[in-house]
Amino acid sequence: MSTPSPDPAPALAAPPGAGGRLGAEGLRPVSEALIRARYLAGLIGYALALIVIAGCVVLWAWLGWWWTVFPALLALILALQSLLLTPRRVRALGYLDREDDLVFASGIMFRSVSTVAFARVQSVEVHEGPIERSLGLATLSVSTASAEADLTIPGLPREEAERLRALLARRGVETMAAL
Amino acid sequence: MSGTPAPAPEQGTASAVPESAFRRTHPITPLVSGWKVIAAIVAAVSIQNIGSLVREFTLTRLLIGLGILAVVIVLSIVISALSWRFTAYAITEDGVALRSGVLTRSRRFAPRARIDSVSVERPLLARLLGLAKVRVEVAGGGESHLDIAYVRTADAERIRREILRAAASAQAGSAAVAPAGASAGPSDPGSVPPAGPPAGPAAVRGADGGPVPTEAALGAGPGDRSAAPGAASGEAGAEPWAQGAAPAAPAPGSLWDQVVLDGVSDGEQIARVPTARLVHSMVRDAEFLLGALALLLGLLVAGGLLLWDDGPGLGAAVALIPALVAVPRLVLGKIEAGWGFVARMTDRGLRMRRGLLNTRTDNVPPDRIQEITLSQPALWRSQRWTRVTATVAGIGDSESEGSLTVLPVGTPEELRRTVGHLLPPLGTEDDAAALEGLLGARARDIPGMRATRRWQWIARRTEVVVLMPGFLVRRSGILTRRLQMISRDRIQGVGISQGPIERRCGLLTLTVPVAGATLTAQGMEQPEVLAMRTVLEHDSAHLRRYRDRARWPRPALSPRQEHRPLPQGGPDGGREDAGQEQQR
Repeated sequence: MSTPSPDPAPALAAPPGAGGRLGAEGLRPVSEALIRARYLAGLIGYALALIVIAGCVVLWAWLGWWWTVFPALLALILALQSLLLTPRRVRALGYLDREDDLVFASGIMFRSVSTVAFARVQSVEVHEGPIERSLGLATLSVSTASAEADLTIPGLPREEAERLRALLARRGVETMAAL
Repeated sequence: MSGTPAPAPEQGTASAVPESAFRRTHPITPLVSGWKVIAAIVAAVSIQNIGSLVREFTLTRLLIGLGILAVVIVLSIVISALSWRFTAYAITEDGVALRSGVLTRSRRFAPRARIDSVSVERPLLARLLGLAKVRVEVAGGGESHLDIAYVRTADAERIRREILRAAASAQAGSAAVAPAGASAGPSDPGSVPPAGPPAGPAAVRGADGGPVPTEAALGAGPGDRSAAPGAASGEAGAEPWAQGAAPAAPAPGSLWDQVVLDGVSDGEQIARVPTARLVHSMVRDAEFLLGALALLLGLLVAGGLLLWDDGPGLGAAVALIPALVAVPRLVLGKIEAGWGFVARMTDRGLRMRRGLLNTRTDNVPPDRIQEITLSQPALWRSQRWTRVTATVAGIGDSESEGSLTVLPVGTPEELRRTVGHLLPPLGTEDDAAALEGLLGARARDIPGMRATRRWQWIARRTEVVVLMPGFLVRRSGILTRRLQMISRDRIQGVGISQGPIERRCGLLTLTVPVAGATLTAQGMEQPEVLAMRTVLEHDSAHLRRYRDRARWPRPALSPRQEHRPLPQGGPDGGREDAGQEQQR
């Protein structure tokens, strides 16, 4: 394996074994308001889980259906992991627009870091759902010629999303490399 | 072209096409397109009742059955005739327009600038009647093609040429393509310069392509005209069209005619698969053998159950489903992909003709190839045969699932020519030998990024990722060795990921997507992956395609005398060949 002669990218220094973000340090966090947005969006799910749990408990108590424990446990686990892990998940999200590309990191258990060069961007979309809009957030979707390389960055403050969109559009036109 | 993701052929733009330009397809079309319906009905009816039909056979029943069949045939022909009546195509300077539909009228238009390739397909029945289908592939994902079906075979050739000429003039408009290159003619593709703005790189590449034309002359000699015996026998009408179409072409002389004129019979022959070799290779392909065996067993069991069980039972269905769905696709697909295979390099790209029941002709423009995979089943190794499939942007019909076999079973010589024409240089001193080394050597002897832990006891012996100056290459496979290659100037993004187990061990997974395919390397050492990511990110951001590689008839791999056993993943040097920094 060889490193080609031209300067090997203005990469963030990646000391071997740098944990956390798989060698991509110094990323910007997304807005903390995304935690609230996700909780709000999850409310229906939590309510459903609560109903399921309550129903199961009632059935067990009245009819002696002990096996209703299993669906109840499942609902409990799903709801709890969402409640407990959402903040950590949101804090694990990070992005950075570098000189030539956009980096996005996510995940606590299953981590991933993706890079998309401005030159490869085919389209950029800023999306605001009702909850996001009320919190002043937006989601940025970047698509390339390959579905595998597409990025979706949630929880950006609206101005930041606009800035990135404008940046991507401008740099994309400047450096367009297509396929 | 290929800038923004284009929607499939545009709707409604065709209004500009004058009514007089529209032409009908051949009047026998309803017969050809109608037979499938009839066959399906007959098959359904007889499978449903085969048991009782055999037992309670009487003349009256037979007559009734035949009567119903006749009605169905007439009906399906009438319906097909109606749809034929409303189908028309037009080829203009702006592109290809197609309108169809009886109740729901649809008009589709393929603008000339977006036309990727034009192929002529000849299904069995159509071939018997001397008809062919012209398929126009348009840039864009999914079902992005127009079918002109069916027209006379000679007309198909003419239509194909007309469309290609329109497409070529579109490209001429966008960039000042040097017609000088075209006028050098198809006889000597090796010396045609890529032409256009980037004169510098063109010169570099011209230099290392030098010796190839002689090679080509060697290979193109004897087998030129005669297709594989089997293919020829089935195609009484096929050979004449290759030749007979030439005079029918618009008068030569104008440069565009020379650019566009790429019948199967001209251009340098790249590869030809004799039937004997194809059959031999099938026998040595374990996957194929198992498939064929399963097909035979399934049919026997299903047939037995049908007769014995009286009608379609669960057992018959269980035996039939794999036999009828998956296996024929595999088995027949491999035969179809290889039968009578002839590939030629023309000015418009690699032109391949093949097929047993359904003769088809494909055009693959080298600049649209995103990924290429060489594979070699274990038993092919002693013969040094290789299969080559390519992922091509824009050519992804459901049958081929986006990847196209560009060499079903090729000798090392054919492999070298095919890959040399389809790919930019790998960047090693001797690319052909490097490829053979990568495919032939034991994976553990190949220098590169690999799994190293003791517990990765299969992966560390079979998988290795090599970063070459022009390409990222992954060798994998235990029995069937595979070599997946993506050009470093086509990398769309770089992803690394890590699950909990990988984190505990300090390992990473690297994914490198290109359009239509992804190279994935799991369980690699973290420092190595991070270093490689840095390089690939830089490639993705800075390497550019040659814009004018669309007209790219120059072999990139140059045969040299010395044969190095293994690629050294050569440093630098070839980098300038692989992609150009900011050439716009």
